[in-house]
Amino acid sequence: MNKSFTILLMLVCLFSVNNLYAAVGCDLNDPDKDVARLFPESTGYKTSYLSLDKLGGAALMQEIEKRLGDSFQGLYETVDVPYTLYEIYKEKEKIGYIHGVNQKGEYGGIQVFLVLDMAGTIKSLYFQKLTSRAAKQLREPDFGKQFVGLNLKDFYSYDVKAGKSVPSGKVDEIKNPVPEAAGDFRAALRATKKNLILMDQFVYSNKHLQYFKP
Amino acid sequence: MLSIYKVCYKNLLRKKVRSSLTIIGVGLSAWVLASLMGFNKGYEASLNRDIDNMGFQIVVTAKGCPYEAATLMLKGGTSLRYMKESVVNEVAANAEVEKMTPMLMQAIFDPNKGESGGMSAYLGVDPASFPQMKTYLEFKQGGWFKDAAAYEAVLGYEAAELEQREVGDKLLIPEKNAELKVVGILKRTGTQDDGTIFIPVKAVQQIFAKPGELTGLGIKVKKDANIAQLEEKLYKLPDVQVVSLAQVKQTIMNLVSTAKVMVLSIAIIAVIIAMVGVINTILMSVFERYQEIGILKSIGAMPEDIFKLIWIETFILCLLGGLFGAVMAFGLSQVTELLIRRLLPYAPTGSLILLDFKLILTTLISVLLIGLVSGVYPAWKAARVRPLESIRNEMG
Repeated sequence: MNKSFTILLMLVCLFSVNNLYAAVGCDLNDPDKDVARLFPESTGYKTSYLSLDKLGGAALMQEIEKRLGDSFQGLYETVDVPYTLYEIYKEKEKIGYIHGVNQKGEYGGIQVFLVLDMAGTIKSLYFQKLTSRAAKQLREPDFGKQFVGLNLKDFYSYDVKAGKSVPSGKVDEIKNPVPEAAGDFRAALRATKKNLILMDQFVYSNKHLQYFKP
Repeated sequence: MLSIYKVCYKNLLRKKVRSSLTIIGVGLSAWVLASLMGFNKGYEASLNRDIDNMGFQIVVTAKGCPYEAATLMLKGGTSLRYMKESVVNEVAANAEVEKMTPMLMQAIFDPNKGESGGMSAYLGVDPASFPQMKTYLEFKQGGWFKDAAAYEAVLGYEAAELEQREVGDKLLIPEKNAELKVVGILKRTGTQDDGTIFIPVKAVQQIFAKPGELTGLGIKVKKDANIAQLEEKLYKLPDVQVVSLAQVKQTIMNLVSTAKVMVLSIAIIAVIIAMVGVINTILMSVFERYQEIGILKSIGAMPEDIFKLIWIETFILCLLGGLFGAVMAFGLSQVTELLIRRLLPYAPTGSLILLDFKLILTTLISVLLIGLVSGVYPAWKAARVRPLESIRNEMG
């Protein structure tokens, strides 16, 4: 009898916790259609949710900030942000990932999704949301193509604060289609670097960490 | 020595699966009952809060469908119809009017939202009158714009989250190429204001090329004024329609009553099924223990003792079922709310299901009473068992 009541009490405690205001994540608006469009060879996908909070807490977030070369700010970059990871399958074989991050832009929030292969190389870049005077140009396929083939090794040398690589690297070759929108261009590069660092931590076992030079 | 309660409890444990299924059945009906009562309470409270949070009792809009106007007021959105700003002076001439605030809602297609674009909405408000009517709005950062024509914006909590804006940041209205400065971020309110971008009404008129036009006029009536009389006067204004929030509330409650009847029917069916389940379980138990009851009586147990024994078993089943139902009602309230929101034509913001201790206690007492009534027949049947007959039957 006592055991039954303990279980009941535990259930009450478990379920009666009110919903707290959680940090905001970044999901695809229409995963079924978006995955098929972004990864045409895919036949299915699995969704999982990860957070720095669960993987290592504040210490891990500091580590990620160090690798990014910039501190996390605002509601979209807190330790409890839920990151949505789409694992992409072709039949039973896993063929890549889609992962998005939020980034503060000059005129509004930006959502940058990366389509990555199993080695962590960018297959394509997708702005799900972009409020910018240069939104049209930044969403042009030609702009996105400049990121294809790059990986975290290329981005580690890119200084997100200075907006250039030291020493000069492949990221510097990415051309800003609208020089007046330098703020949003740099925000897109920061989001891409952050996205790649998180993915290296989440799924690639930090294999690119060897290229990080503090 | 075993107490009668322990004997009853052990009896129920003899057929664990059957007892568990009965408890689940009672629990399900208690869940439905508690959720329904919580919904009755929560829906009206949320609707009243939404309407109170409007800050005004009457809205004047351009002539059109009243349901469209109601949706516009409660859910936000754009009206295809506009009224002239001069209506403000005409309405102000009425003695019943305490305050009023003009509004201009505009929406624009943003091609850079998702793959195929999305809508962005802006509410033009008058900085001199709107904050006075929405006194409950508090700021997380900054404050209201001071100039009715300034290119400034105040963002609701969720709008600021989505756009990642802070005070001092810039905000771009897509397609219109208009750049605004964020001067305030509101605290979370749990209402539609959380997702709203407020802009000075004159600025909205200018940006969207709607000079001298409004989509709504919110009116706060003097405390002792006759609202119906004012409505009558406002009806006489040309090309406008008058929507009182009392009417809106009544309309919505009428629409919701259908859904309530449906849920109530389900609750009644669930309770009946649970009653039958309890009767069945206890009756089966009585039949199985026919000889045992006979022996109990032959060694001195009185009919009232047997009645009590069986009735307590029913009580324990219903108590556990009721507690299980209460846990489910609390635990699954979010899921239940989601289901109800899908059913309803209009659901206000905030919690639709309000569960409190009093309500859970009422549910528990109702389930126990229904259960005890269900237990009367099996207990009476058991109390009537004749000792010798039962033993003889069993031997035979």
